[in-house]
Amino acid sequence: MSELFLELFSEEMPPGLQKHAREGIQKLFTESFDKLNINFKSNKSYSTPKRLVFFFEEITEKIEKKGITIKGPKVDSPKSALEGFIKSNNLDHTEVFEQSLDKGRFFFAKINPKIILVKKELAKIIPDILNKYSWKKSMRWADHSLIWGRPLKSILALFDNQVIQFSFHHLVSNNLTFSDEIMEEGQKKIKDFRSYLKLLDSKKIILDQNLRKQLIVKQIDKVCKVRKLKKKLNEKLLDEVVDLVEKPNVLLGKFAKPFLNIPKEILITSMQQHQKYFPLFNQEDNLTNFFIIVTNLEDKKGLVKIGNERVISARLSDAKFFWEKNKAQSLVKQVGNLKSINFFSELGTLFHKVQRIKKLGAMIADQLNLNKEKVEISASICKVDLLSDLVGEYPELQGILGSYFAKAQGFDDDISLAIKEHYLPLGLDSKIPKKPISVAVSIVDKIDTLVGFFGIGEKPTSSKDPFSLRRTTFGLLRIIIENNLSIQLKNLINYSNTLYLEQGFKFLKQSDSNAITNFLKDRFKNYLKEKKIRYDIIEAALASHVSDDYVSLYKKCLTLNKYLKEDLGKNILTTYKRASNILDQEKKTINLKITGEPNSSLFNKDEEKLLFDQINEVRKYYSNVIKDENYKKTLEILSSAKKTTDNFFENVVVNDENENVKKNRLELLEMFCNTFDNFIDFSKVEGA
Amino acid sequence: MKKKKNKKKQIKKKNISIQNFQDTILNLQKYWGNYGCVILQPYDMEVGAGTFHPATTLRSLGTKPWRAAYVQPSRRPSDGRYGNNPNKLQHYYQFQVLIKPSPKEIKKLYLKSLSTIGINYKDHDIRFVEDDWESPTLGAAGLGWEVWCDGMEITQFTYFQQMAGIECKPVSVELTYGLERICMFTQKKNNVFDLLWNDTGVKYKDIFYQSEKEFSAYNFEHANTDFLFKIFEMVEVECKSLLDKKLSLPAYDQCLKASHVFNLLDSRGAIGVAQRTGYISRIRDLVKRAGSVWLTTQT
Repeated sequence: MSELFLELFSEEMPPGLQKHAREGIQKLFTESFDKLNINFKSNKSYSTPKRLVFFFEEITEKIEKKGITIKGPKVDSPKSALEGFIKSNNLDHTEVFEQSLDKGRFFFAKINPKIILVKKELAKIIPDILNKYSWKKSMRWADHSLIWGRPLKSILALFDNQVIQFSFHHLVSNNLTFSDEIMEEGQKKIKDFRSYLKLLDSKKIILDQNLRKQLIVKQIDKVCKVRKLKKKLNEKLLDEVVDLVEKPNVLLGKFAKPFLNIPKEILITSMQQHQKYFPLFNQEDNLTNFFIIVTNLEDKKGLVKIGNERVISARLSDAKFFWEKNKAQSLVKQVGNLKSINFFSELGTLFHKVQRIKKLGAMIADQLNLNKEKVEISASICKVDLLSDLVGEYPELQGILGSYFAKAQGFDDDISLAIKEHYLPLGLDSKIPKKPISVAVSIVDKIDTLVGFFGIGEKPTSSKDPFSLRRTTFGLLRIIIENNLSIQLKNLINYSNTLYLEQGFKFLKQSDSNAITNFLKDRFKNYLKEKKIRYDIIEAALASHVSDDYVSLYKKCLTLNKYLKEDLGKNILTTYKRASNILDQEKKTINLKITGEPNSSLFNKDEEKLLFDQINEVRKYYSNVIKDENYKKTLEILSSAKKTTDNFFENVVVNDENENVKKNRLELLEMFCNTFDNFIDFSKVEGA
Repeated sequence: MKKKKNKKKQIKKKNISIQNFQDTILNLQKYWGNYGCVILQPYDMEVGAGTFHPATTLRSLGTKPWRAAYVQPSRRPSDGRYGNNPNKLQHYYQFQVLIKPSPKEIKKLYLKSLSTIGINYKDHDIRFVEDDWESPTLGAAGLGWEVWCDGMEITQFTYFQQMAGIECKPVSVELTYGLERICMFTQKKNNVFDLLWNDTGVKYKDIFYQSEKEFSAYNFEHANTDFLFKIFEMVEVECKSLLDKKLSLPAYDQCLKASHVFNLLDSRGAIGVAQRTGYISRIRDLVKRAGSVWLTTQT
């Protein structure tokens, strides 16, 4: 039973690089083995900050290669071709012979059946793989040519207890590992993977990242149980911490209780982001003053715990000092200081911005029937926390801290929430604001940003979007659609434009609202795609979109998408297509303007009259449902026209000899299609 | 009786484990001097970090081996807090080591250096946490770590990949010890101003409190921005003219001046977000040229 064991010992490899290298190098191995018909029973990859380890069990010892004759270059081709042939096939000059074919005389070589020892082959494969692996981020050091994630110090390569001998840049493989891994001293001979694990075990090093993770979690659970505390491990942080240690040890740290009076987001950010600690919670899910430190050694003298506690205390004292100071600084009085923070060089300061969104807020408050004062106040103070020391220290807590300041200063909950939530959504799928005031401020802030950057020509290009306008716009649409808002977006955009101009900003073109509308449509398209709406329905929706009511458009798409495959949708579509096909054909042949206004006095068949009445029924329905349209009901109404339409087509020949009658019938069909298109441009929807 | 004895014991222990600020510097100098580093004195200009010393920037270029260590007073005008913040200063000290090419056993050398200043790596959780470094002003980039000791960052450990826009070959390793932080750790102080400078009772506050206060006022309120803008322009012109004369070191000095003037303007809030990158790239262009000229003199 053969085993392959490779240890790459380096200086501390960052967690992200470890995982990538574990998976990447392992993949290169299996691919290479596949090509050479080398089999194995199991294959593992492990890492710690200092080690990358690959282990294959029950690996093929010998590969048998059948004898074959291979054709080389033409005899009269340049000498280098022959040399290349010899080299690439690992031949000896004596093995090469000439032979004539129809196309001329060629070199050939007969390769005898061969048994290849995998161990020997590995001496070539391994350095190849290591050279081939491309790091996510890599570096050079000293005067070596090797490029690696962090300085590589030693390569242990064993195949069945024997060294696989190869050199890799300045390093030569061996059977040694450092017994003092910190000082990189005391190289020790390793017989096989098992004895390697034994050595690590004696030093309490856990090679397997999964075991390390289990152990850490188990230790944390133990601490929690004793202290009756709850953990809420941040998975990403946990994975990072697991790959930052090889001798994991869990310590329980504590900070002074009064720190719990500062906003919990500050405490959690300090612990998780800055210190890589895990905060602990009590049974009621409230944050406690206990936290978990995962260390890389046993804290025999208790110094590590004390040290860490001092660090977090120092951080929190700072934070507390600023919290006391900042919360007492009036948000309203500081609005003027926003002049010191640029929004964007050509779009003024944040003071300019809040002046604009305050006015824009008043408009949206009217549109949505909200408390105008609350929207205006929220809009004016929503950026003030950016001036605070705390946001300087904890930039990721912008908005959140402003919300705390507002609460401390006695502002209404709606306002304090709006300060926090107006930045939402932060990511594609993340939370959007739901409370009316938050929604309003969030929308106007985004419109202001969008209009501003478009105004100065900073539109996103296909590859670049430095101001994340795509994300902003997508967020804007999500807020509107998912909150079911009927707002007049165009009015807001136009007014926002005006507000910039009033402040004296020079925009490229005054009428760039078209570009914004198109940009919005594009994002809307993406939104629909993400909701798995059929492509032709999306096209239909965008083609028929004249107003800026994205909510109803979205609902129409959703409803149609749902019922298109059912009778409801099929009826509508077959009827519509029948009418539009005739129209399209006839429009090509006759040179008449069809306006969709039939003259009822020209009807000479009952079916015409009936269809006309039916269309008017549908129109009447439309004029009655201005608000709260039930889109399924609309589809039902459209679908119910099928019988009348079928009757019409069965009993009426559109192509009448009398031109006037014919034209009038076409008018009737046009009227029919127009009426249907009122829902969505059905001509773009493909047959059911 | 028993109480008294305890107290005495405590004092004795204190003397062993607590290292004052100036001894920390002296011990690091001695350690790296013994290793073979040239012990230099601080560069006599205002700089933002030890890295700016020509013994690091310029000497990290080219193939000639180089080992140097020095203390560098560093100025970061916008970090001033009028002496009110326990951790932040607009003027502080870095201890800088630069070795080219980076020695194989550099981590061991570093860990041993810590034990000379009162940090035994066997008792503390010393961790190398990824921190890739970049200085747009110097056109420099490196890979390495921030070294944590029981959760506190005490050193920047960087393998230079690029300096002055030039690929570093061979690669230098740079160690930057944050002296105040280290001493706060070894002296167990929560406030930088409480640090013991020597064993006669002189504290950090006695030496630097007034200057932190006054310089914060200067950096944030009184530095004359009109003058500074003019100086920046003048220094840039001077630098270019020196570069044309192939005087790399005096030209590099002008880069340092420009950089400090920029930092002052920045802390005065006189430079907009959009302008920032413009100024930075102007300095970087000068540094790049100075680096190239320096290289031509290194054969």
